[in-house]
Amino acid sequence: MISVSSVSKSRAHVRVLEEVSLAGAEGTVTAIVGPSGSGKSTLLRCLNGLETFESGGIDIAGHRLEAGPHAPLRLERLRRDVGMVFQQFNLFAHLSVLDNVCLAPRVVLGLPAAEAHARGRDLLDRVGLGGFATARPSTLSGGQQQRVAIARALAMRPRVILFDEPTSALDPAMTGEVQEVIVGLARGGQTMVVVTHDHAFAKQAASWVVELDAGRVARQGPAAEML
Amino acid sequence: MARSPFHLPPAALAGLCCLAIAAPRLSAAELDEVLSRGELVWAADQEGGGPHVFPAPDDPRRLTGFEVEFATLLAEELGVKPRFQQGQWDRLPLLLGRAADCVINGIELTPERQRDYRCSRPYFAYSLQLVGRRDALPDAVEKLSAAGPGGRWRVGVLTGSAAEMFLRSRHGMEVDVVGYDGTIDSLEQVSSGVLDAALLDDCIFAFYADRFGRLRAVGRPFAGGFYTVLSARDTPRLSAAIDECIGRMIADGRLKSLYDRWDLAGRQQMLQIRDATEVPPATRRSFGELLREALPLLLRSAGMTVLLACLSFPLAVAVGLAVAVGRTYGPPVLRPLLAVSVEVLRGTPLMLQLYALFFLLPKIGLALPALLAAILGLALNYSAYESEIYRAGLKAVPAGQFEAALSLGLSKWQALRHVLVPQAVRIVMPPVTSDFIALFKDTSVCSAITVIELTKRYSVLALSTGRIVELALVTAVLYLCMSWPLAILSRWFERRLEQPTGPQATGEPAT
Repeated sequence: MISVSSVSKSRAHVRVLEEVSLAGAEGTVTAIVGPSGSGKSTLLRCLNGLETFESGGIDIAGHRLEAGPHAPLRLERLRRDVGMVFQQFNLFAHLSVLDNVCLAPRVVLGLPAAEAHARGRDLLDRVGLGGFATARPSTLSGGQQQRVAIARALAMRPRVILFDEPTSALDPAMTGEVQEVIVGLARGGQTMVVVTHDHAFAKQAASWVVELDAGRVARQGPAAEML
Repeated sequence: MARSPFHLPPAALAGLCCLAIAAPRLSAAELDEVLSRGELVWAADQEGGGPHVFPAPDDPRRLTGFEVEFATLLAEELGVKPRFQQGQWDRLPLLLGRAADCVINGIELTPERQRDYRCSRPYFAYSLQLVGRRDALPDAVEKLSAAGPGGRWRVGVLTGSAAEMFLRSRHGMEVDVVGYDGTIDSLEQVSSGVLDAALLDDCIFAFYADRFGRLRAVGRPFAGGFYTVLSARDTPRLSAAIDECIGRMIADGRLKSLYDRWDLAGRQQMLQIRDATEVPPATRRSFGELLREALPLLLRSAGMTVLLACLSFPLAVAVGLAVAVGRTYGPPVLRPLLAVSVEVLRGTPLMLQLYALFFLLPKIGLALPALLAAILGLALNYSAYESEIYRAGLKAVPAGQFEAALSLGLSKWQALRHVLVPQAVRIVMPPVTSDFIALFKDTSVCSAITVIELTKRYSVLALSTGRIVELALVTAVLYLCMSWPLAILSRWFERRLEQPTGPQATGEPAT
């Protein structure tokens, strides 16, 4: 499902990723851990083409990314199958909670309004926010916003979801509610890649752990052995 | 954001009223003050052109014209030096008592002016001349009584001139009167085929005839009247002294030889102005009568102001937004082109752009109707400002919003349309609203290309009736009646945009 082979990338003459290789099987959760600046987020952003890389290749959800610039159309197709949840949530500030979730199914998949709404409401119920459909994102707590962001990613029914430090911007009280949702998805067999520095969470959610250090894979293995 | 030196925005109108009411009336300089100062300040508009007052062709810093020489003679006769004061022609009388002692610039002797100012004895006799294209209709003045081959005749005049009053007061003529700010603008427009004819003082056409080879005088000069030296109402002794001076200049032949030097038929001039008939002053009408006459005209012009603003601004916003998106996200080859066009539109005066659209395009065979030229000009000019505002708005949307949209599989353009632009529009709502109000007032610049809106109409009416303060109040009230609802409307719009609605949130009940 996910295969990264020998991916290298530099930024301003500094190597940020060095010959990174890893694999993630369908229905499993891969956690990427490591100190700040070790290249975790950069690697994740390479997986859905938000960043390019200089050598190596990536196969993900049946799509292939080569080194160098990516063709826009290829990226759009890949991103339908690969969702992403950001550290800062990045909810669309001008749309209601429900419209945040429904936008991509409407615009990208061309679903009729009724169908998109039904899908959106269903997902909001799943993340425990059924009562907030018409609220503005800015009126929600950080934990609630991140759960909406997860519902938004799920609305495209992606084969893989990428999480970029999903709880780092949250205070401890809210971390739990978001982690609970992610662990629930893992139990349901959703393929995911999670960048985190919370080892307890990684151990709970992931089956495979990759530890990066200074852009290289320091070690990787089953979660139970690694952490 | 005032881009025109000429428009008089509502706030200024209101201020003018307050000043006029509150300030103690300054008394104008009487004869003794002019003599002790040793200078006679005379006002004219050098843009008005020849043969009256115009920059000398060989040295544009020097003014020449028969009125320059007349003013010099007059000052010498009074024993003082002449000093020129520039002003806009239709507002020259406003300078009296403030910046000038007298106005010498083809000011026709009328009953209204007799009532409101001191008018000297005539120093020049003019007639009106109809001018058309060679080999084109109309070929006689009488032809104006029936519609031409293209419907009503379009005849250009100098706004506020005797020619305009003549045409507007004649009933039973199939004529649309088009007012211009410059004397020869109308000749240009006849030459390029936009107008059927122009009506102007005969001496002006005689002076410029060589420059317009395609034009000819239609019929003999007719109607006509006299030019007078205007001075303030409260300077009877200055006015009497001017009369005496003119009398002496007529008697000893100096005025005749002046006119002969300018090819203005000195002998005939003398015959006409020596025994000019007295023009009786007009009676002052009540405010009610004034309002009955002026209000319909003012209301119609207010409608024009609203029309110009409401048609041009949406266009400006649409073009501005497209340019902003193009400059920020468009193909790299397009970006410098758009940047240059924005700088050109922003860096040149709106007045010049309107002139180019209206007076230059006909020269390459593209004659736009004045209203269309005005709307396009306003829209293009403001689109440059709007595009910069929207560019700032697009930059103000956090980068994460774009990345989140792309990560959901939206294309760049879908992300722009559904995520970035809607947010940018909300961010820039306040500056865009204030630009709308600025444009609303800038519509007054359009009078330069014959579109008469509220400010111009006020100015013409105020000067023809002499009721400057009352009409300013009425005009200010009209502006307020228009801008108030606009402000409420834009606030409503702003509020509506604040609500979290998207392309799919239609009547969704809260759960």
